Amino acid sequence: MAVVGALAAAALALGACSNNSDGGDGGDAGKDASAGIIKVNRTEPQNPLISTNTNEVGGGWILDMIFSGLAYYTADGSTELDVAESIESEDTINWTIKLKPDQKFTNGDPVDADSFINAWNYGASVMNDQLQNSFFVEIKGYEDVNKMIDSGEKNEDGTAKLIPDPDQGQELSGLVKVDDLTFTVELSNPDPDFTLRLGYSAYYPMPISAFDDMEAFGQAPASNGPYKLASDDAWEHNVKIDLVANPDYTGPRKAQNGGITFVFYETVEAAYQDLLSGQLDIVDSVPDFKTFEQDLGERAVNQASATFQAFTVPDRLAHFGGEEGKLRRQAISMAIDRAAITETIFSGTRTPAKDFTSPVMPGYSDSIPGNEVLEYNEAKAKELWAQADAISPWEGTFQIAYNADGGHADWVEAVLNSIHNTLGVETAPAPYPTFQESRTAITDRTIQTPFRSGWQADYPSLYNYLQPLYGTGGGANDADYSNKTFDDLLVQGLAQATPAEAAKYYNQAQELVLEDLPAIPLWYANVTAGYSENVGNVIFGWNQVPLLYQVTTK
Amino acid sequence: MPETPAAQPDRRRRAAGAHSPATHFFAGPDEVELAEVDLLDESTPPASLWKDAWIKLRRRPLFLVSAGLIVLILAVALFPGLFSKADMNTCYLADSLKGPAPGHPFGFDLQGCDIYARVIHGARPSVLVGVLAMLSVLVLGGAIGAIAGYYGKWADAILSRVGDIFFAIPTVLAAIVFLQSMRDRAGVMGVVVVLAAFGWPQMARITRSAVLAVRGADFVTAARALGVSRTKILLRHVMPNAASPMIVTATVSLGTYIVAEATLSFLGLGLPITMRSWGWQIGAAKDVLRHSPEVLLWPAGALAITVLAFIMLGDAVKDALDPKARR
Repeated sequence: MAVVGALAAAALALGACSNNSDGGDGGDAGKDASAGIIKVNRTEPQNPLISTNTNEVGGGWILDMIFSGLAYYTADGSTELDVAESIESEDTINWTIKLKPDQKFTNGDPVDADSFINAWNYGASVMNDQLQNSFFVEIKGYEDVNKMIDSGEKNEDGTAKLIPDPDQGQELSGLVKVDDLTFTVELSNPDPDFTLRLGYSAYYPMPISAFDDMEAFGQAPASNGPYKLASDDAWEHNVKIDLVANPDYTGPRKAQNGGITFVFYETVEAAYQDLLSGQLDIVDSVPDFKTFEQDLGERAVNQASATFQAFTVPDRLAHFGGEEGKLRRQAISMAIDRAAITETIFSGTRTPAKDFTSPVMPGYSDSIPGNEVLEYNEAKAKELWAQADAISPWEGTFQIAYNADGGHADWVEAVLNSIHNTLGVETAPAPYPTFQESRTAITDRTIQTPFRSGWQADYPSLYNYLQPLYGTGGGANDADYSNKTFDDLLVQGLAQATPAEAAKYYNQAQELVLEDLPAIPLWYANVTAGYSENVGNVIFGWNQVPLLYQVTTK
Repeated sequence: MPETPAAQPDRRRRAAGAHSPATHFFAGPDEVELAEVDLLDESTPPASLWKDAWIKLRRRPLFLVSAGLIVLILAVALFPGLFSKADMNTCYLADSLKGPAPGHPFGFDLQGCDIYARVIHGARPSVLVGVLAMLSVLVLGGAIGAIAGYYGKWADAILSRVGDIFFAIPTVLAAIVFLQSMRDRAGVMGVVVVLAAFGWPQMARITRSAVLAVRGADFVTAARALGVSRTKILLRHVMPNAASPMIVTATVSLGTYIVAEATLSFLGLGLPITMRSWGWQIGAAKDVLRHSPEVLLWPAGALAITVLAFIMLGDAVKDALDPKARR
């Protein structure tokens, strides 16, 4: 099997982000002195700008602008080659990747086979503790660079505390350099979708100099994308980051504007006010769904997207483990009147969820057996809750944590009220001031309440919604959910030749998570956004990311 | 003048019958005009600053209105259940943004919660923070100002400079910085402590100047001559006479602390969200301001009336205590 040229797009963007943003990439105008800077709202990145350690959209969209990977995604979700000249495989296990010649990072380092191999090895090695580590799990040799040993100490819960084995190698045996512009990748299992992933930021290259001082690199990375940092001090933390078009970029995403300034906002309201007053050019979410189309007229965007929203209730929380937890999750799910909330709070800009994916995905089904657990059913909810109480009586307050900078307060209140009214339990919202703080508490596992979660698809595949979030060891499996049967069904789905065949297995796997509900699905989001009179050609892709590199200024 | 041992006028003892002219053949000392003017009418209690102020206050409409409002606000804060039977946490989306209905005089907010119930229940956290912050500032600022003013010298130099440093830091800004770092753990006490920690210098300055003015008074010198200890003089003689500007400042500042709490809660930094203070309610209502401004008006109106009541009271008390305005 050979995959050359156009590939289906793949990029996993960690969704804890209904806080949509605008990302984009350079277009084809070249360096145009008259082209202006566009200002776009964003949240402060959680981590330094290191591609293998960024799994949220605050930093992800900046990375997408300043780096180019082997491939990129177009507005309709198809994958096109960017840095790569060809990506080929006979058996979907062994892949040969050839790069276009004469590409450079902004510091002069060449973009060659080593810049990918080094970056991927860095991301895959457990020694570097990178958030995107699991994106390299498919590559042969992953286990050999992720060995853990018993430290001799105990965790708080009495289990043995594991630490990385200091004596392991740090290179994936599946990555082999052929020459400066060619390398091969050997996977552990066949994966026809491998190329779909390669536009995602976890697989971006890094220059050789990055490994000398990763900390400095993360603050002001030398990059190879359509944009680059305006200066080494371009990232003003919690304020903004200035990007300018990269004149040396020769790929297909040439910038059609002079640059992008991502302005970091704490609230959607503030960003929206700045848009109305002309201080900001593009916002990727709006505070008030009732009025934004009236305010903005033709400059309002309201279209279907691939964002799935939910809240996660980890097993480890008190009263949510085992059989009792399963009953409680089902009861809570059935206590939420999704239809009323989407209609009242979101003015119809959300669609109640019927599964864990999105209606724009091929293979989506709104009739998966067991999805009646997502219907509002007061009597059944009370009954299940009472059964759980019989196992162990409920005590305390049911909370949902969220980031206060993303416009989530209203729906969290509404969901909690619905649960309170139906089940009679005390409920309370648990806000974190910023997305960054909430993600840190979630990735540290220090959070002690259920928390909002979401997933913004990056390539059109159901697998993309299921494995990272609920697969054992998945990159965004914040609930630490683990179900052998579920994992096996996903593996079987991957082995199928066509997406339609694969979807059968994926939807079968969904029946399991519909029962266990590691996350409680809420709804699918439309992209609701807007832009100013100063810019034109603002097109939001199917994944609710605007193609920023195509945006023109007036 | 207020009562102090040194300032006690001589009280001339006289029998009740001494006024009778029948027992004298010439004008006694009691019968001349001067004596009439000088006469102390012992059937009335001794006059005092506070008593005079009270007599004056109770005739002032400003005081009556503000005091009436404050009594009402305190009653609401202490016994919200008397004013609203509805549960502020029972909200049905079906009622979202509906107008007034029987039993729900202010209508409903976006979540379908009864606005009247929320406004009533929001009084307690606001008033609680205001009162506690005011008392803390009164104690902290009062003590520091009194020590600086009374003992003077190096104590004054140090305390006044420290006060100047704190005075230069805007209270709300400092509160934002501190509350941001102690988020979730703040609660009522956290907000009070932060407001008091950065609000005391004003009170300290007022107290210091009041103490300075009293320190040189004759009755203080007299008390010292009698061998009263310095601490005792400060507490027994100086402080009671320096109290009136402190009380005026405290009353007015109570309103500003309520505003500060609302500001912080609006920003999501003040009281825990579950307390549903007015500031939080205003913050939540701003999301629907474009199409349902009335949701914002109720908590904002309650906040404005409360703050106005305390500031008016402070104003009225100030006028009544102001020696220049006394007749």
